[in-house]
Amino acid sequence: MRSILTIILNDLKIFFAQRGNLVGLLVIPVLLTLVVGWSIGQIGGGGPTRLRVDLIDNDQTELSAILIEELRAANDALVLCPLDNDADDFCRLGEDPLQLDSAIERARSGRTSALIVIPAGYAAALEGFERINIDYYSLSDPLLPSPVLQSLNAVLQRAGSASITTGVAGALLDNLTAATDLPPLDKETRDGFLRSIYLRSQEMLTEQPPPVRFRVADADNEGEDGSSNGFNQSGPGMGSLYVMFTVLGGMAVLLRERRQWTLQRLMALPLSRAQILAAKIGVYFTLGMIQYFIVFAVGAAAGMDFGSDPPALLAVMAAFVLCITALTFALAPWIKSEGQARGLVLLLSLSLAPLGGAWWPLEIVPEFMRTLGHISPVAWAMNAFQDLIWFNGGFTDVLPEIGVLLAAAAVLFIFGIRSFKYE
Amino acid sequence: MQLMVETRNLRKTYSRPDGSTIEAVKGVDLEIRQGEIFSLLGPNGAGKTTTISMISGLVTPTEGDATIGGFSITTQSMQAKRLMGFVPQEIALYPELSARQNLAFFGRMYGLGGKALSRRVYELLEFVDLADRQKDRIDTFSGGMKRRVNLAAGLLNSPPLIYMDEPTVGIDPQSRRRILDTVKLLRDEQGMTVLYTTHLMEEAEELSDRVGIMDHGEIIAMGTQAELTQQVGEEDRLEFTIGAQEIAEDLVERVQHQTAGVTRILSNPPEQISDDSSESTPARLIIFAKRGRTALPQIIQTLDAADVDIQSVAVREPDLEAVFLALTGRALRD
Repeated sequence: MRSILTIILNDLKIFFAQRGNLVGLLVIPVLLTLVVGWSIGQIGGGGPTRLRVDLIDNDQTELSAILIEELRAANDALVLCPLDNDADDFCRLGEDPLQLDSAIERARSGRTSALIVIPAGYAAALEGFERINIDYYSLSDPLLPSPVLQSLNAVLQRAGSASITTGVAGALLDNLTAATDLPPLDKETRDGFLRSIYLRSQEMLTEQPPPVRFRVADADNEGEDGSSNGFNQSGPGMGSLYVMFTVLGGMAVLLRERRQWTLQRLMALPLSRAQILAAKIGVYFTLGMIQYFIVFAVGAAAGMDFGSDPPALLAVMAAFVLCITALTFALAPWIKSEGQARGLVLLLSLSLAPLGGAWWPLEIVPEFMRTLGHISPVAWAMNAFQDLIWFNGGFTDVLPEIGVLLAAAAVLFIFGIRSFKYE
Repeated sequence: MQLMVETRNLRKTYSRPDGSTIEAVKGVDLEIRQGEIFSLLGPNGAGKTTTISMISGLVTPTEGDATIGGFSITTQSMQAKRLMGFVPQEIALYPELSARQNLAFFGRMYGLGGKALSRRVYELLEFVDLADRQKDRIDTFSGGMKRRVNLAAGLLNSPPLIYMDEPTVGIDPQSRRRILDTVKLLRDEQGMTVLYTTHLMEEAEELSDRVGIMDHGEIIAMGTQAELTQQVGEEDRLEFTIGAQEIAEDLVERVQHQTAGVTRILSNPPEQISDDSSESTPARLIIFAKRGRTALPQIIQTLDAADVDIQSVAVREPDLEAVFLALTGRALRD
């Protein structure tokens, strides 16, 4: 272990002895993080364009279904979980059904924007023109505008209006019946008449222009400077991009070490091949982590959020860096010249980073590009960062992404270690 | 005397991209005794570096094994490597670090540390006469200075055995002399065993207790210089450099039959230097003769009579070059 650490420290000393490396590690990433973060902040925050909202329908009636449909229509950014969950499990539910306790916990931890609970008897109350409460849980300040709350209020307002219309129509019907000495309607006919009044009222209210417009930038926090939200995108994005530049650059260094015979000299020392390889992997893993820390430190100074689970954030960083380190070792044996290595670093970094959402959120690209983007490890890392930073997720929420990155790392390492050229 | 290095049927085969194979080393058997300088002499591409790379654990043999102080390099490589120092042909140093930082790093890899490491690094810098440049980066050094640090890096663990793979390639005569003297010092004062590869006959002759001559991946002769030169008898070698002209077959026969003591003649025709060049190397005539100096006037007279343009003549007594020539029909530098 001591030998491995000695090699890592020596290689880091050599890396930092070259001033050009400091420009690539420090100056350019810092500048780009600031510029991109500020720019994205000015155009809307760069955060997710979908809001995860848990919804529990204890009524399961036609009217509660209408309420849900109305909610969807009021704000297409809302993803009602579990009803609207997608193949990528945007709701982060896994295999488990959504229970009230877990849903409350998700809302309280910020992993969902809100929880809406439609109580049993909702339809009966509306039809009977009776008071009923819909439970709403959210971390957002109820005094500040929230896109979910605004949508819900708008929908409930319409439901309330329709209910009032129904109540008035019912009373009118009863009064007319009494005044004209007509025989009273049987209950089934009366209920059918009132329901048709309710539904027609809903339809007419729905046809009105939508009262709520969704804005991401200052939806949850009116007072916050929009540019700081931009760093929630640019921090992880630029961090991941420059991790690729720095770590993939190791391909050229490994080639140079073989050419200048320092690698072979290590082989002639009383060290096993595994120790040498572990040390070289350790060097690039360390450099990748240093790169993330530099960019995140800039992000922190500029107001970037880090979510509420630092160990999970560290785990995502480590998994991504490990994956890129493995990619470096898988490609290094096939590189013939330092020029070829530099070209490949540029090609891979500048294609995989935007493809995976390092420059802009994947949610603003077409569906097929979003799917295609997941061939890039950056997409998995950015998904996880988004879960942690924007949705206050925890370790369990990002386990799938960490799993994918580690699995890719394992496959690439097997390939890289088997074909690693010592001679 | 105890054996320090022993190889048995050491063989290395490489695969080419087209699927064919090339056998770089073809079953080498070596025995190197403790405290001797053993030179592997051979032209470029003979397999010397591949052999030394296998013995030092850099390259895994395709077949066979080598033992260092009784430890197998394939199955007990850690123990074997602790007994050896390695000075590769390339300057295997980090150019961005100073001489001292380089030596300190490699010293730490041998488990040295603290004052012992500082002392050893300083001793070696003194030994290679670079203590005053210890803080300078390697990339500011001349070729000869780099070679000396390269040598020092191979001595950090005070090994009983050191491999040196053509350590004088591409350096000035002064640095070369210093390195050759250092190699002798290592044997004479520290009792070190040295395995030295070279394609320069003069170096092998000056340094070696025993020599192994390698060609096309095989050891074609091995022994002390006296034992080897005995193989070519007592013949002198008369080397004629001739202008760009072909030597006719009948002239060669005439020289051989008309001059007493001439045993055989090798004729190397002139060769174009490259496809793009009209210049060519001069032709050479190598004549083996007993009592060469006595035969010389008669040979010159015969060549003169045939209008051969003699540019230079050298009379060489039996040496390793002659052995190589006798065994392969080619000069070492060819």
